Amino acid sequence: MSTPSRAEPVAVAATPVDLSVRLTADALLEIVAARFGLVRDPADRWDLTVRCSADQLRDVVQFLRDDVRLRMDMLLDIAGVDYLSYPDHREERFAVVYLFKSLAFNHRLALKVMVDETDAQVPSIHDLFKIADWHERETWDQFGIVFSGHPNLKRLLNHHEFVGHPLRKDYPVQKRQKLSVNDPMLDQLVLRLRQNGYTVLEST
Amino acid sequence: MVFKPVPPLPVTAEVNLGDAYITTTVDAVVNWGRRNSLWPFPFGTACCAIEFMGMVSSHFDVSRFGAELVRFSPRQADLLIIAGTVTYKQAPVLRRIYEQMADPKWVISAGACATSGGFYDCYCTVPGIDEIIPVDIYIAGCPPRPEAFLEAIVQLQAKIDGESVKEAKKVGV
Repeated sequence: MSTPSRAEPVAVAATPVDLSVRLTADALLEIVAARFGLVRDPADRWDLTVRCSADQLRDVVQFLRDDVRLRMDMLLDIAGVDYLSYPDHREERFAVVYLFKSLAFNHRLALKVMVDETDAQVPSIHDLFKIADWHERETWDQFGIVFSGHPNLKRLLNHHEFVGHPLRKDYPVQKRQKLSVNDPMLDQLVLRLRQNGYTVLEST
Repeated sequence: MVFKPVPPLPVTAEVNLGDAYITTTVDAVVNWGRRNSLWPFPFGTACCAIEFMGMVSSHFDVSRFGAELVRFSPRQADLLIIAGTVTYKQAPVLRRIYEQMADPKWVISAGACATSGGFYDCYCTVPGIDEIIPVDIYIAGCPPRPEAFLEAIVQLQAKIDGESVKEAKKVGV
């Protein structure tokens, strides 16, 4: 039996951390701006939303997770946005928003990556946060945004015979798509058994 | 109780029957048995299933109508009650459960969602389960009260009374 593979553990800070320190939005912004040159999102209505390019994304997420001042050890959600009918929107059509929270310091940060319609692609962060696996599958399913590097980018909510991405604003919402045979999802079962150290015999 | 051997009937047997026999039809006897011993299979997907539980429990007590023996295997049930929203992803499962039930079988569609999709006018919800399986009785309500469930049972019993064993119950969808 092989040892089950696990995602790499979060790096623990070597220096003692004062848990009473909760960084303000301005202090958080200062840290990420100094390191990556990130700017605040103009439509910011949350604790703090910063813009980030797709190329920077993996570095920024790893920094947020591992930096001793930030310790964003929880990925709350990954959400897609379609700005097709948004008033006065002049930028790329889609966005992917990552919501982070620090359980140690109780501060939050949202990352927003703008995504072009013709090349709707964002690097996957499934190896940095395990939960990102299903969140990215859902975002792909509903918005058609591809997460490059994802090991198993198949539909999560809609059925496997579904065509199109229903949360896109130009999807005809009343269009019905029947399912003839349901997906037994055996591939997922086999994958999970192998991860837990079992040997799965191939049927012929 | 002592059972005495019945003597062989003479040719003029009917003259001597007295009040020991009643005459009836096969349909009347079979339908009496079927309508008073419905075994429901609850396909509960949403809040309508909570009302179904209310109907089965002691306060409303569906056993007064002979339908209290809830089965969780379609092989043992003859009444399928769909109580809740059905999505297209679930639809083949519901279809298979219906096919696994032995004849004769009846279907009650409980509540707005199962009947018409309810307020889920969207890409993923089946707008009425009669797109997938045949339905005998529809119940209105969101969710319907347990009394409405009981009314549906009574209406179904009346419907069963009008059926005949000589005719095939269903021909499929």
